[in-house]
Amino acid sequence: MKLDEIRIPRFDAYERVMHWMAALSFVYAALTGLALWTPVLYWLASLSGGGFVIRGTHPWSGVLFSVVIGWMYRRWAKTMYLDADDRVWLTRLDKYATHQHGALPPSGRFNAGQKMLFWSQVATGLLLLVSGVVLWFPEEMPRGLRLAAIAAHPLAAIGSIGGILVHIYMGTAAVPHSMRAILRGWVSPEWARFHHPKWYKVWRDSANLR
Amino acid sequence: MIVAKLIDTTLCIGCKACEVACQEWNDQEYTLGTFNGSYQTMPDLAHNFWNLIRFNEVERNGAQSWVMSKYQCMHCAEAGCIAACPAPGAITQMANGTVDFVHENCIGCGYCITGCPFDVPRLSPATKKVYKCSLCSDRTAVGLEPACIKTCPTNCLTFGERDELLRSAEIRTRELKADGHAQAGIYNPAGVGGTNVIYVLNDATQPEQYGLPKDPEIPWTVRLWKGPLKALGAMVFMGSILGAFFHYVIFGPQDPEKHGHPEEEPTHEA
Repeated sequence: MKLDEIRIPRFDAYERVMHWMAALSFVYAALTGLALWTPVLYWLASLSGGGFVIRGTHPWSGVLFSVVIGWMYRRWAKTMYLDADDRVWLTRLDKYATHQHGALPPSGRFNAGQKMLFWSQVATGLLLLVSGVVLWFPEEMPRGLRLAAIAAHPLAAIGSIGGILVHIYMGTAAVPHSMRAILRGWVSPEWARFHHPKWYKVWRDSANLR
Repeated sequence: MIVAKLIDTTLCIGCKACEVACQEWNDQEYTLGTFNGSYQTMPDLAHNFWNLIRFNEVERNGAQSWVMSKYQCMHCAEAGCIAACPAPGAITQMANGTVDFVHENCIGCGYCITGCPFDVPRLSPATKKVYKCSLCSDRTAVGLEPACIKTCPTNCLTFGERDELLRSAEIRTRELKADGHAQAGIYNPAGVGGTNVIYVLNDATQPEQYGLPKDPEIPWTVRLWKGPLKALGAMVFMGSILGAFFHYVIFGPQDPEKHGHPEEEPTHEA
Protein backbone atom coordinates (compact mmCIF):
# COMPACT_ATOMS: atom_id res chain seq x y z
CA MET A 1 0.00 0.00 0.00
CA LYS A 2 1.27 3.44 -0.88
CA LEU A 3 1.83 5.77 2.00
CA ASP A 4 -0.57 8.42 0.77
CA GLU A 5 -3.36 5.88 1.02
CA ILE A 6 -2.63 5.26 4.68
CA ARG A 7 -4.86 6.92 7.28
CA ILE A 8 -3.27 7.58 10.66
CA PRO A 9 -5.85 7.67 13.45
CA ARG A 10 -5.49 11.02 15.21
CA PHE A 11 -8.65 11.48 17.31
CA ASP A 12 -10.86 8.54 18.28
CA ALA A 13 -14.65 8.95 18.46
CA TYR A 14 -14.47 9.63 22.19
CA GLU A 15 -12.12 12.58 21.69
CA ARG A 16 -14.08 13.92 18.73
CA VAL A 17 -17.36 13.92 20.65
CA MET A 18 -15.58 15.53 23.59
CA HIS A 19 -14.11 18.26 21.39
CA TRP A 20 -17.41 19.09 19.69
CA MET A 21 -19.36 19.12 22.93
CA ALA A 22 -16.84 21.65 24.22
CA ALA A 23 -17.02 23.61 20.96
CA LEU A 24 -20.82 23.80 20.80
CA SER A 25 -21.28 24.66 24.47
CA PHE A 26 -18.49 27.24 24.18
CA VAL A 27 -20.01 29.00 21.18
CA TYR A 28 -23.42 29.08 22.86
CA ALA A 29 -22.00 30.34 26.15
CA ALA A 30 -19.83 32.93 24.37
CA LEU A 31 -22.64 34.40 22.23
CA THR A 32 -25.15 34.52 25.09
CA GLY A 33 -22.45 35.81 27.42
CA LEU A 34 -21.67 38.69 25.07
CA ALA A 35 -25.40 39.50 25.00
CA LEU A 36 -25.46 39.60 28.82
CA TRP A 37 -22.38 41.82 28.93
CA THR A 38 -23.63 45.04 27.42
CA PRO A 39 -26.75 46.52 25.81
CA VAL A 40 -24.65 47.06 22.65
CA LEU A 41 -24.50 43.29 22.07
CA TYR A 42 -27.92 42.49 23.55
CA TRP A 43 -29.28 41.73 20.06
CA LEU A 44 -27.32 38.47 20.21
CA ALA A 45 -29.89 37.32 22.79
CA SER A 46 -32.53 37.11 20.07
CA LEU A 47 -30.53 34.27 18.45
CA SER A 48 -31.68 32.12 21.33
CA GLY A 49 -35.10 33.27 22.44
CA GLY A 50 -34.31 36.65 24.01
CA GLY A 51 -32.79 37.94 27.22
CA PHE A 52 -35.12 36.22 29.64
CA VAL A 53 -34.37 32.83 28.04
CA ILE A 54 -30.60 33.21 27.90
CA ARG A 55 -30.50 34.40 31.51
CA GLY A 56 -31.64 30.86 32.27
CA THR A 57 -29.62 28.94 29.66
CA HIS A 58 -26.27 30.76 29.67
CA PRO A 59 -25.19 29.45 33.10
CA TRP A 60 -26.12 25.89 32.18
CA SER A 61 -24.14 26.02 28.93
CA GLY A 62 -21.22 27.22 31.05
CA VAL A 63 -21.66 24.29 33.41
CA LEU A 64 -21.68 21.89 30.44
CA PHE A 65 -18.52 23.51 29.02
CA SER A 66 -16.81 23.22 32.42
CA VAL A 67 -17.71 19.54 32.69
CA VAL A 68 -16.28 18.87 29.23
CA ILE A 69 -13.13 20.84 30.09
CA GLY A 70 -12.74 18.59 33.14
CA TRP A 71 -13.21 15.57 30.87
CA MET A 72 -10.56 16.91 28.45
CA TYR A 73 -8.24 17.47 31.39
CA ARG A 74 -8.57 13.82 32.42
CA ARG A 75 -7.97 12.66 28.88
CA TRP A 76 -5.24 15.04 27.69
CA ALA A 77 -3.46 16.70 30.62
CA LYS A 78 -0.59 14.20 30.60
CA THR A 79 0.18 14.79 26.91
CA MET A 80 -0.06 18.56 27.37
CA TYR A 81 2.99 19.17 29.58
CA LEU A 82 5.64 21.21 27.74
CA ASP A 83 8.87 19.36 26.96
CA ALA A 84 12.27 20.92 26.17
CA ASP A 85 11.48 21.10 22.44
CA ASP A 86 8.19 22.86 23.18
CA ARG A 87 9.90 25.52 25.24
CA VAL A 88 12.26 26.30 22.35
CA TRP A 89 9.29 26.19 19.95
CA LEU A 90 7.50 28.90 21.92
CA THR A 91 10.48 31.24 21.65
CA ARG A 92 10.30 30.79 17.86
CA LEU A 93 6.59 31.49 17.51
CA ASP A 94 7.39 34.10 14.85
CA LYS A 95 9.04 31.37 12.73
CA TYR A 96 5.91 29.23 13.06
CA ALA A 97 3.67 32.14 12.08
CA THR A 98 5.78 32.90 9.00
CA HIS A 99 5.99 29.28 7.82
CA GLN A 100 9.71 28.80 8.55
CA HIS A 101 9.12 25.30 9.85
CA GLY A 102 12.74 24.29 9.30
CA ALA A 103 13.70 26.54 12.21
CA LEU A 104 11.33 24.81 14.66
CA PRO A 105 12.07 21.90 16.99
CA PRO A 106 9.86 18.87 16.28
CA SER A 107 6.47 18.64 17.93
CA GLY A 108 4.80 15.62 19.53
CA ARG A 109 1.11 14.75 19.34
CA PHE A 110 0.29 18.38 20.13
CA ASN A 111 2.54 21.33 19.35
CA ALA A 112 3.42 23.92 22.00
CA GLY A 113 0.76 26.32 20.69
CA GLN A 114 -1.96 23.72 21.12
CA LYS A 115 -0.66 22.93 24.59
CA MET A 116 -0.76 26.58 25.59
CA LEU A 117 -4.33 26.81 24.29
CA PHE A 118 -5.24 23.79 26.40
CA TRP A 119 -3.76 25.24 29.58
CA SER A 120 -5.21 28.68 28.97
CA GLN A 121 -8.68 27.15 28.47
CA VAL A 122 -8.31 25.12 31.66
CA ALA A 123 -7.31 28.26 33.59
CA THR A 124 -9.95 30.59 32.12
CA GLY A 125 -12.55 27.80 32.28
CA LEU A 126 -11.98 27.41 36.00
CA LEU A 127 -12.14 31.18 36.54
CA LEU A 128 -15.31 31.44 34.44
CA LEU A 129 -16.94 28.61 36.39
CA VAL A 130 -16.17 30.02 39.82
CA SER A 131 -17.06 33.64 38.97
CA GLY A 132 -20.08 32.45 36.97
CA VAL A 133 -21.55 30.56 39.92
CA VAL A 134 -21.14 33.70 42.05
CA LEU A 135 -23.00 35.82 39.46
CA TRP A 136 -25.66 33.13 39.01
CA PHE A 137 -27.03 33.56 42.53
CA PRO A 138 -26.80 37.31 43.27
CA GLU A 139 -28.93 37.15 46.43
CA GLU A 140 -27.07 34.24 48.04
CA MET A 141 -23.51 35.46 47.43
CA PRO A 142 -21.71 38.12 49.50
CA ARG A 143 -21.47 41.45 47.72
CA GLY A 144 -17.65 41.63 47.79
CA LEU A 145 -17.44 38.31 45.98
CA ARG A 146 -19.99 39.45 43.39
CA LEU A 147 -18.06 42.67 42.75
CA ALA A 148 -14.88 40.64 42.13
CA ALA A 149 -16.74 38.17 39.91
CA ILE A 150 -18.36 40.88 37.82
CA ALA A 151 -14.90 41.97 36.62
CA ALA A 152 -13.22 38.53 36.64
CA HIS A 153 -15.90 36.84 34.51
CA PRO A 154 -15.59 39.11 31.44
CA LEU A 155 -11.80 39.30 31.85
CA ALA A 156 -11.54 35.50 31.70
CA ALA A 157 -14.03 35.45 28.82
CA ILE A 158 -11.91 37.91 26.80
CA GLY A 159 -8.88 35.64 27.20
CA SER A 160 -10.88 32.54 26.46
CA ILE A 161 -12.71 33.85 23.38
CA GLY A 162 -9.51 35.44 22.03
CA GLY A 163 -7.72 32.08 22.28
CA ILE A 164 -10.60 30.22 20.63
CA LEU A 165 -10.75 32.71 17.74
CA VAL A 166 -7.11 31.92 16.95
CA HIS A 167 -7.84 28.20 17.44
CA ILE A 168 -10.72 28.37 14.93
CA TYR A 169 -8.48 30.09 12.38
CA MET A 170 -5.74 27.48 12.87
CA GLY A 171 -8.20 24.60 12.60
CA THR A 172 -10.01 25.85 9.51
CA ALA A 173 -7.94 28.02 7.17
CA ALA A 174 -4.36 27.99 8.45
CA VAL A 175 -3.74 24.23 8.67
CA PRO A 176 -5.43 22.35 5.85
CA HIS A 177 -6.91 18.93 6.74
CA SER A 178 -6.98 19.58 10.48
CA MET A 179 -10.77 19.97 10.27
CA ARG A 180 -10.98 16.45 8.81
CA ALA A 181 -8.85 15.20 11.68
CA ILE A 182 -11.23 16.49 14.34
CA LEU A 183 -14.41 15.64 12.39
CA ARG A 184 -13.55 12.19 10.98
CA GLY A 185 -10.51 11.37 13.07
CA TRP A 186 -7.68 10.65 10.64
CA VAL A 187 -4.70 12.35 8.98
CA SER A 188 -2.27 11.42 6.22
CA PRO A 189 1.29 10.35 7.05
CA GLU A 190 2.57 13.40 5.17
CA TRP A 191 0.43 15.67 7.34
CA ALA A 192 1.55 13.91 10.52
CA ARG A 193 5.23 14.05 9.59
CA PHE A 194 5.08 17.75 8.79
CA HIS A 195 3.00 18.98 11.72
CA HIS A 196 3.81 16.47 14.46
CA PRO A 197 7.10 14.72 13.57
CA LYS A 198 7.71 13.11 16.97
CA TRP A 199 4.17 11.76 17.12
CA TYR A 200 4.54 10.53 13.53
CA LYS A 201 7.72 8.62 14.42
CA VAL A 202 5.96 6.86 17.30
CA TRP A 203 3.22 5.80 14.90
CA ARG A 204 5.73 4.72 12.23
CA ASP A 205 7.72 2.63 14.69
CA SER A 206 4.64 1.01 16.18
CA ALA A 207 3.26 0.37 12.70
CA ASN A 208 6.50 -1.48 11.97
CA LEU A 209 7.49 0.70 9.04
CA ARG A 210 11.08 1.17 8.15
CA MET B 1 -38.05 69.44 36.63
CA ILE B 2 -36.30 66.97 38.91
CA VAL B 3 -38.55 65.72 41.70
CA ALA B 4 -37.41 64.34 45.01
CA LYS B 5 -38.43 63.01 48.37
CA LEU B 6 -37.18 64.67 51.52
CA ILE B 7 -36.97 62.49 54.62
CA ASP B 8 -36.51 64.44 57.83
CA THR B 9 -35.49 61.59 60.11
CA THR B 10 -35.79 63.86 63.17
CA LEU B 11 -39.57 63.94 62.67
CA CYS B 12 -40.11 60.21 62.13
CA ILE B 13 -42.14 58.61 64.92
CA GLY B 14 -41.90 55.07 63.57
CA CYS B 15 -45.63 54.72 62.90
CA LYS B 16 -44.99 52.68 59.72
CA ALA B 17 -47.97 54.24 57.96
CA CYS B 18 -45.73 54.76 54.91
CA GLU B 19 -45.05 51.00 54.81
CA VAL B 20 -48.76 50.26 54.79
CA ALA B 21 -49.48 52.91 52.16
CA CYS B 22 -46.70 51.52 49.94
CA GLN B 23 -48.02 47.97 50.23
CA GLU B 24 -51.58 49.10 49.57
CA TRP B 25 -50.94 51.36 46.60
CA ASN B 26 -48.57 48.91 44.91
CA ASP B 27 -51.02 46.07 45.61
CA GLN B 28 -48.39 43.80 47.18
CA GLU B 29 -49.27 40.36 48.35
CA TYR B 30 -49.41 39.94 52.11
CA THR B 31 -46.21 38.51 53.59
CA LEU B 32 -45.89 37.38 57.15
CA GLY B 33 -43.09 39.29 58.87
CA THR B 34 -40.58 37.73 61.22
CA PHE B 35 -39.89 38.74 64.79
CA ASN B 36 -36.21 39.48 65.31
CA GLY B 37 -36.37 41.17 68.69
CA SER B 38 -36.95 44.54 67.04
CA TYR B 39 -39.86 46.83 66.31
CA GLN B 40 -38.96 46.68 62.63
CA THR B 41 -41.69 45.18 60.43
CA MET B 42 -39.31 43.05 58.36
CA PRO B 43 -35.61 42.31 58.74
CA ASP B 44 -34.92 43.52 55.19
CA LEU B 45 -36.45 44.82 51.98
CA ALA B 46 -38.10 42.19 49.76
CA HIS B 47 -39.26 41.91 46.16
CA ASN B 48 -42.77 42.66 47.49
CA PHE B 49 -41.76 45.07 50.27
CA TRP B 50 -40.15 48.23 48.93
CA ASN B 51 -40.20 50.63 51.86
CA LEU B 52 -38.92 49.67 55.29
CA ILE B 53 -38.58 51.86 58.37
CA ARG B 54 -35.41 50.74 60.08
CA PHE B 55 -35.41 50.93 63.85
CA ASN B 56 -31.66 51.26 64.35
CA GLU B 57 -30.70 50.98 67.98
CA VAL B 58 -27.73 53.26 68.64
CA GLU B 59 -25.94 54.42 71.76
CA ARG B 60 -25.64 58.19 71.90
CA ASN B 61 -24.22 60.16 74.84
CA GLY B 62 -24.37 57.04 76.97
CA ALA B 63 -28.06 56.51 76.29
CA GLN B 64 -29.77 54.01 74.04
CA SER B 65 -31.72 55.70 71.29
CA TRP B 66 -33.76 54.76 68.26
CA VAL B 67 -32.45 56.15 65.03
CA MET B 68 -35.22 55.63 62.54
CA SER B 69 -34.63 55.77 58.82
CA LYS B 70 -36.64 55.01 55.73
CA TYR B 71 -34.95 52.31 53.64
CA GLN B 72 -35.92 52.36 49.97
CA CYS B 73 -34.59 53.10 46.48
CA MET B 74 -32.57 56.34 46.48
CA HIS B 75 -33.26 57.22 42.81
CA CYS B 76 -29.61 58.16 42.22
CA ALA B 77 -28.64 60.66 39.54
CA GLU B 78 -25.85 58.25 38.49
CA ALA B 79 -27.54 54.96 39.20
CA GLY B 80 -25.44 51.82 39.74
CA CYS B 81 -28.35 49.59 38.68
CA ILE B 82 -28.52 51.29 35.26
CA ALA B 83 -24.75 51.08 34.83
CA ALA B 84 -24.88 47.33 35.45
CA CYS B 85 -28.03 46.44 33.48
CA PRO B 86 -27.47 44.64 30.13
CA ALA B 87 -31.11 44.66 28.94
CA PRO B 88 -32.06 47.80 26.96
CA GLY B 89 -35.11 49.49 28.44
CA ALA B 90 -35.27 47.36 31.58
CA ILE B 91 -34.33 50.29 33.82
CA THR B 92 -35.27 53.81 32.80
CA GLN B 93 -34.39 57.16 34.23
CA MET B 94 -37.25 59.53 33.64
CA ALA B 95 -36.91 63.22 32.81
CA ASN B 96 -37.97 63.96 36.39
CA GLY B 97 -35.10 61.86 37.76
CA THR B 98 -37.14 58.81 38.81
CA VAL B 99 -35.31 55.49 38.31
CA ASP B 100 -37.93 52.90 37.38
CA PHE B 101 -37.82 49.20 36.45
CA VAL B 102 -39.76 48.16 33.34
CA HIS B 103 -40.61 44.57 34.07
CA GLU B 104 -41.45 43.40 30.57
CA ASN B 105 -37.84 44.20 29.61
CA CYS B 106 -36.21 42.84 32.78
CA ILE B 107 -34.44 39.50 32.27
CA GLY B 108 -33.75 38.87 35.95
CA CYS B 109 -29.96 38.61 35.64
CA GLY B 110 -29.58 40.39 38.99
CA TYR B 111 -26.63 42.56 37.89
CA CYS B 112 -28.49 45.62 39.23
CA ILE B 113 -28.42 44.03 42.69
CA THR B 114 -24.62 44.01 42.48
CA GLY B 115 -24.42 47.45 40.90
CA CYS B 116 -26.59 49.19 43.52
CA PRO B 117 -24.47 50.80 46.27
CA PHE B 118 -27.52 50.90 48.58
CA ASP B 119 -28.48 47.19 48.28
CA VAL B 120 -32.06 47.90 47.22
CA PRO B 121 -33.27 45.76 44.25
CA ARG B 122 -34.71 42.34 45.12
CA LEU B 123 -35.31 39.34 42.85
CA SER B 124 -38.73 37.70 42.92
CA PRO B 125 -38.45 33.91 43.06
CA ALA B 126 -41.85 33.66 41.35
CA THR B 127 -41.45 35.98 38.36
CA LYS B 128 -37.61 35.85 38.25
CA LYS B 129 -37.60 39.64 37.81
CA VAL B 130 -36.27 42.41 40.00
CA TYR B 131 -38.39 44.89 41.99
CA LYS B 132 -37.94 48.08 43.98
CA CYS B 133 -39.60 51.39 44.82
CA SER B 134 -40.86 53.17 41.68
CA LEU B 135 -41.24 56.54 43.43
CA CYS B 136 -44.90 55.83 42.65
CA SER B 137 -44.26 56.82 39.03
CA ASP B 138 -47.87 55.85 38.29
CA ARG B 139 -49.02 58.50 40.79
CA THR B 140 -46.49 61.24 40.04
CA ALA B 141 -47.30 60.96 36.31
CA VAL B 142 -50.80 62.27 37.05
CA GLY B 143 -49.71 64.92 39.54
CA LEU B 144 -50.18 62.94 42.75
CA GLU B 145 -47.49 62.59 45.38
CA PRO B 146 -46.11 59.13 46.23
CA ALA B 147 -48.24 57.00 48.56
CA CYS B 148 -45.77 57.14 51.46
CA ILE B 149 -45.69 60.95 51.34
CA LYS B 150 -49.46 61.20 51.17
CA THR B 151 -49.89 59.16 54.31
CA CYS B 152 -47.10 60.51 56.55
CA PRO B 153 -48.75 62.09 59.62
CA THR B 154 -45.76 64.14 60.88
CA ASN B 155 -44.56 65.80 57.65
CA CYS B 156 -41.36 63.83 58.07
CA LEU B 157 -41.82 63.02 54.37
CA THR B 158 -42.26 65.69 51.72
CA PHE B 159 -42.30 65.49 47.95
CA GLY B 160 -41.63 68.18 45.40
CA GLU B 161 -39.10 69.97 43.26
CA ARG B 162 -35.61 68.82 44.20
CA ASP B 163 -33.98 72.26 44.50
CA GLU B 164 -36.80 73.51 46.70
CA LEU B 165 -36.54 70.49 48.98
CA LEU B 166 -32.78 70.99 49.28
CA ARG B 167 -33.42 74.57 50.39
CA SER B 168 -35.92 73.50 53.05
CA ALA B 169 -33.46 70.76 54.14
CA GLU B 170 -30.86 73.47 54.71
CA ILE B 171 -33.30 75.56 56.72
CA ARG B 172 -34.20 72.50 58.81
CA THR B 173 -30.50 71.72 59.35
CA ARG B 174 -29.92 75.26 60.64
CA GLU B 175 -32.84 74.83 63.04
CA LEU B 176 -31.43 71.57 64.33
CA LYS B 177 -27.99 73.12 64.82
CA ALA B 178 -29.55 76.00 66.71
CA ASP B 179 -31.32 73.39 68.83
CA GLY B 180 -27.96 71.93 69.85
CA HIS B 181 -27.56 69.17 67.22
CA ALA B 182 -24.18 70.37 66.05
CA GLN B 183 -23.67 67.37 63.76
CA ALA B 184 -26.96 67.82 61.91
CA GLY B 185 -26.75 67.76 58.15
CA ILE B 186 -28.10 66.66 54.78
CA TYR B 187 -27.51 63.25 53.19
CA ASN B 188 -27.29 63.70 49.43
CA PRO B 189 -24.15 61.70 48.52
CA ALA B 190 -22.05 63.18 45.72
CA GLY B 191 -20.51 59.81 44.79
CA VAL B 192 -23.67 58.85 42.89
CA GLY B 193 -24.23 62.35 41.55
CA GLY B 194 -26.69 63.13 44.34
CA THR B 195 -29.86 61.21 45.15
CA ASN B 196 -33.49 62.09 44.58
CA VAL B 197 -34.23 60.77 48.05
CA ILE B 198 -32.67 63.28 50.44
CA TYR B 199 -32.34 62.89 54.19
CA VAL B 200 -31.98 65.32 57.06
CA LEU B 201 -29.98 63.53 59.76
CA ASN B 202 -29.39 64.84 63.25
CA ASP B 203 -25.89 63.34 63.03
CA ALA B 204 -24.73 63.56 59.44
CA THR B 205 -21.18 62.59 60.38
CA GLN B 206 -22.30 58.99 60.98
CA PRO B 207 -24.80 58.03 58.24
CA GLU B 208 -24.01 54.35 58.98
CA GLN B 209 -26.07 54.69 62.16
CA TYR B 210 -29.07 55.21 59.88
CA GLY B 211 -28.11 52.26 57.69
CA LEU B 212 -26.84 54.62 54.97
CA PRO B 213 -23.39 54.08 53.40
CA LYS B 214 -20.92 56.88 54.07
CA ASP B 215 -19.53 57.38 50.56
CA PRO B 216 -21.69 55.37 48.16
CA GLU B 217 -20.61 55.18 44.54
CA ILE B 218 -20.95 52.92 41.53
CA PRO B 219 -18.46 50.10 42.35
CA TRP B 220 -15.18 50.43 40.47
CA THR B 221 -15.39 46.82 39.27
CA VAL B 222 -18.74 47.64 37.64
CA ARG B 223 -17.14 50.65 35.94
CA LEU B 224 -14.20 48.45 34.84
CA TRP B 225 -16.60 45.81 33.50
CA LYS B 226 -18.67 48.31 31.51
CA GLY B 227 -15.78 50.58 30.49
CA PRO B 228 -12.13 49.56 29.95
CA LEU B 229 -12.94 45.82 29.72
CA LYS B 230 -15.37 46.51 26.88
CA ALA B 231 -12.61 48.33 24.99
CA LEU B 232 -10.15 45.52 25.77
CA GLY B 233 -12.66 42.93 24.60
CA ALA B 234 -13.28 44.77 21.34
CA MET B 235 -9.52 45.05 20.75
CA VAL B 236 -8.86 41.35 21.47
CA PHE B 237 -11.81 40.07 19.41
CA MET B 238 -11.32 42.38 16.43
CA GLY B 239 -7.55 41.95 16.68
CA SER B 240 -7.85 38.16 16.56
CA ILE B 241 -10.29 38.17 13.65
CA LEU B 242 -8.45 40.78 11.57
CA GLY B 243 -5.07 39.32 12.54
CA ALA B 244 -6.14 35.87 11.36
CA PHE B 245 -7.62 37.25 8.17
CA PHE B 246 -4.54 39.25 7.21
CA HIS B 247 -2.24 36.42 8.24
CA TYR B 248 -4.04 34.31 5.66
CA VAL B 249 -3.87 37.07 3.08
CA ILE B 250 -0.11 37.56 3.58
CA PHE B 251 1.17 34.05 4.41
CA GLY B 252 -1.60 31.66 3.37
CA PRO B 253 -2.03 28.17 4.78
CA GLN B 254 0.75 25.89 6.01
CA ASP B 255 1.87 23.61 3.18
CA PRO B 256 4.04 20.52 3.84
CA GLU B 257 5.36 20.60 0.28
CA LYS B 258 6.53 24.20 0.46
CA HIS B 259 7.40 24.48 4.14
CA GLY B 260 8.63 20.96 5.01
CA HIS B 261 11.77 20.06 6.96
CA PRO B 262 14.48 19.87 4.31
CA GLU B 263 16.59 17.45 6.37
CA GLU B 264 13.73 14.97 6.84
CA GLU B 265 13.48 11.83 4.77
CA PRO B 266 10.75 11.77 2.17
CA THR B 267 7.83 9.39 2.61
CA HIS B 268 8.33 5.66 3.22
CA GLU B 269 6.57 2.79 1.68
CA ALA B 270 4.80 0.25 3.78
